[in-house]
Amino acid sequence: MSDLDYQGVWVFIEQKNGAAAAVSWELLGAGAELAKTLDVELSAVVIGDKVEHLCQEAFSYGAAKAYLMDDPVFHYYRTEPYYKSVCQLINKYKPEIVLLGSTSLGRDLAGAVATELKTGLTEGCTKLGIDEKRLLLMTRPAYSGNIMATVVTEHARPQMATIRPRAMAMPEKDTNRRGEIIREPAAIREESIGVKVLEVIDSSQQGSGTVNLTNAEIIICGGRGVQSKENFQLLQDLADAMGGKVACTRAAVEDEIAPFNLWVGQSGVTVRPKVYIACGVSGAIQHLAGMRDSGVIIAINYDRQAPIYEVSTYGIEGDCLQVVPAMTNYVKELRAKKAN
Amino acid sequence: MSSRAWIFLGIFIIAIAFFIWSAYRRFRVIGLGQPENRFDARGKRIRSMLLYPFAQLCTLSRSYLFSINHAIFFWSFLVLVVANILTVLGGLFPRLLPTGPYPVLALIFELAWVIALLSITVSLLRRLVFRPKYTLPMSPDAAITMSLFVVLMVGYFGLHASQIVQGIEKGGAFMPVSNWLAATFMGNTSIGAAESSGNVFWWLFSIGLLGFIDYLAYTKHTHMLASIPNCYFRSLEKVTTQPREDFEKSKTLGVGQIDQFRWTDLLDTFACTECGRCTDNCPATATDKPLNPRTVIHDLKYNLAKNGQLLLNKKEAVLPLIGSDHEGSVATDAIWSCTTCGACMEMCPVFIEHVPKIVGMRRYLVEEKSQFPEELGKLFENMRQRSNPWGIPPTDRARWALGLKVKPFLTGRTEYLFYVGCAGAFNARARQTTQSIARILDAANISWGTLGISEKCCGDSVRRLGYEFNYDKMVKENIKMFQDKGIKKIITSCPHCFSTFKNDYRQYGVELEVIHYSELVNRLIEEDKLPLNESVDLGKVVFHDSCYLGRYNGIYEAPRNVLKAVSGKAPLEMGRHHERGFCCGAGGGRMWMEENLGTRINTKRVEEALKEDPKVICACCPYCVTMFEDGLKDKKASDTVKVLDLAEIVAGALKESK
Repeated sequence: MSDLDYQGVWVFIEQKNGAAAAVSWELLGAGAELAKTLDVELSAVVIGDKVEHLCQEAFSYGAAKAYLMDDPVFHYYRTEPYYKSVCQLINKYKPEIVLLGSTSLGRDLAGAVATELKTGLTEGCTKLGIDEKRLLLMTRPAYSGNIMATVVTEHARPQMATIRPRAMAMPEKDTNRRGEIIREPAAIREESIGVKVLEVIDSSQQGSGTVNLTNAEIIICGGRGVQSKENFQLLQDLADAMGGKVACTRAAVEDEIAPFNLWVGQSGVTVRPKVYIACGVSGAIQHLAGMRDSGVIIAINYDRQAPIYEVSTYGIEGDCLQVVPAMTNYVKELRAKKAN
Repeated sequence: MSSRAWIFLGIFIIAIAFFIWSAYRRFRVIGLGQPENRFDARGKRIRSMLLYPFAQLCTLSRSYLFSINHAIFFWSFLVLVVANILTVLGGLFPRLLPTGPYPVLALIFELAWVIALLSITVSLLRRLVFRPKYTLPMSPDAAITMSLFVVLMVGYFGLHASQIVQGIEKGGAFMPVSNWLAATFMGNTSIGAAESSGNVFWWLFSIGLLGFIDYLAYTKHTHMLASIPNCYFRSLEKVTTQPREDFEKSKTLGVGQIDQFRWTDLLDTFACTECGRCTDNCPATATDKPLNPRTVIHDLKYNLAKNGQLLLNKKEAVLPLIGSDHEGSVATDAIWSCTTCGACMEMCPVFIEHVPKIVGMRRYLVEEKSQFPEELGKLFENMRQRSNPWGIPPTDRARWALGLKVKPFLTGRTEYLFYVGCAGAFNARARQTTQSIARILDAANISWGTLGISEKCCGDSVRRLGYEFNYDKMVKENIKMFQDKGIKKIITSCPHCFSTFKNDYRQYGVELEVIHYSELVNRLIEEDKLPLNESVDLGKVVFHDSCYLGRYNGIYEAPRNVLKAVSGKAPLEMGRHHERGFCCGAGGGRMWMEENLGTRINTKRVEEALKEDPKVICACCPYCVTMFEDGLKDKKASDTVKVLDLAEIVAGALKESK
């Protein structure tokens, strides 16, 4: 097998109910650069049920071609039909690079495809590049983020990587761009699939779901120090003003002042927002485990010794019930000024 | 030989053959189990057999008042075994009875019957009238066994009363009960009628006895037979930790089917009396969780009965071991509810090993089925990648030592490795304990050092949770590091690290001198090597036994002595303490799981502690400290009651160093 048999950069367009995941467009942006360096074509892989409109959207984000498999069998994501179909496309059209978002779907699919094709896969990349031998340089944090590892897939093809959401910039959208749609039939029929989807329970419909938390860029988290359900409204006000989401600690759930599905921590949700404001949170290790990788951590706690201050970027020593409303007012003022 | 002897011999042979066949079937299904060497240390084993079943330490040493009744019954039963054999033989070969000691024996036998009857009556009353909650209502099995026992008794006394009337009873003068019966009920009986009634009673007795023996093999009363070998083949290690898993051979990992247990585990099921002491002491049962250790053992026995013969014939098992609602199958929720606190094993009169069985089934769920509570996914990932439960960067491991003079362990120069442990290194609360221990060690001029950021997790949680594959890797890495650095003596802060190094790592052929700091501090105080202030007033202190320190390693007095030395008075005890100490709820990897079933174990333990109205709850384990602090917050008592690690109390009493 010669490397030259494989050409082109592919981006898998992840979708749910016909709406694409933002990371897919980010990858088209990154893929375009790679394609330019290699002087090859950038293509999108669109798989789903009634998803043709995504091809046009892919063109507007820079894809020149779209491989489309549109079939009811793809209505819900299931590993088997998706990976078999992607493998069939790859075997037929032989791209040299295949990129997917490092989401739960992307990671599941990429692993299955790479195993089937016996090729390399680098998971959770934050940077991509091309070396002088035209190899894809896939960079990802290793050893708890203490070093960055750059991985190459030297011999096997395609070179596969999943890329973390928001690691790449969102490209400009140009709805005037057009491309070529290549239709392919699904690689598998419903009858031969072992897994049937009976019902999808959407966690985002159960109150303010945990799904929203993992993607939130700003999180205002309340702990036992918030003291009551009513006081959580203060946090909600700040979240509304800043465009963020409210979360809570286990202790707040225990005290029944906040709902279970907002709980951040070891056995709750793990979050990594850009800004994390911890209000009345002491910082028990089980909580820290769920949020310590956040970008900027602002701790509001009257106890200077609270362990939350060990991980915080900024600390505000004081009663969160006084500090939070002041912050809300300030943010509102700033917004008003900006609006003027 | 008389015709009676020939007829009896025929029946006897059939009955005994049936018994041997039943026993052989049991023996064969036990043989389905995996190999385990319990044939070593014969002397110790014989001793254990003499002390536990025969001298009844099995029941008497487990601090249950009712045990006395069992011991009395057991001993009278032993006497009656001799009495019964002699009675059968006497009927067959009248000349065989020893004339000299026979009258004395006759008296002893009659007394034994009376005592046994009294003791059975007490048992019956206990089951029927004032039944303790942890025991089961009387089963049909027990009713039949007891009835057979009564049949035997009627036969025995009827026979001897008849013989007294006939005037042929050699021990007649020494048989008060038989004499009384003869006088009361057979006063007008002719000799001829007495002879035939004697005949009837002898047959009743003999057939009853054979029936009793045969029936035994099919009831929970098999324990009379199986518990004796079970005490012989018990684990001689104080802490009955789970066996290693063989990853080399391609076989199922863990225990997913009854024949994947060790043979000793299967023998255990026959030895079980269903007395319920395990259940009475189980923290999961006490908080209404689906785990009930007695039921687990019962289910395994039932499962073996259903599947054993099939498996022997190389057929497929019909009843799943795990996950079905059917009797004979263990619920997954039960398997995950165990805190591995070991109270069940500590209290079991016949050395049944519950925890290794549960861990075995966890291994199957984790390693074969990938089926475990969702929260554990994160824990396993963190352990694999960063060798700590929270997934904190390993470079943070030495942060507790910032601002302190802590030296690394230097090969050949440092004596003790102070193994900090994950909680001690990362958890802000436990770090205070770590820092206290560092101060104590310095104050006593001990040569110590740490592994700094190269320290890894000991593997306790992953092992108890059944992720043995990863544990195996962790142990090997740690042992290599210990050997490379020439580490032979280890001081630990956490009882879990302590017990894992001391008892579990031994399975890898390493002998480490592992010391829990509470033992070390106790020794230092005894040797007067620790500069302490006169005494510190802490108010009322209640002490909590950590399972992995107390029950697992028998360290009960060291921490209490230390508390006494430091505060001037012995600590208060909770309702359950020492061997019967109640788990905080975090052991066995429960620390990393949600506690959604039943009520909270830590809340229950905190309530027990609060009954003593303490100012301070003292523990020696980072898990216990966390569980108590959380429990106190739930009880809104965290402002009035403090939770302190023993090390913090000792460090607070140190004389200021110059």
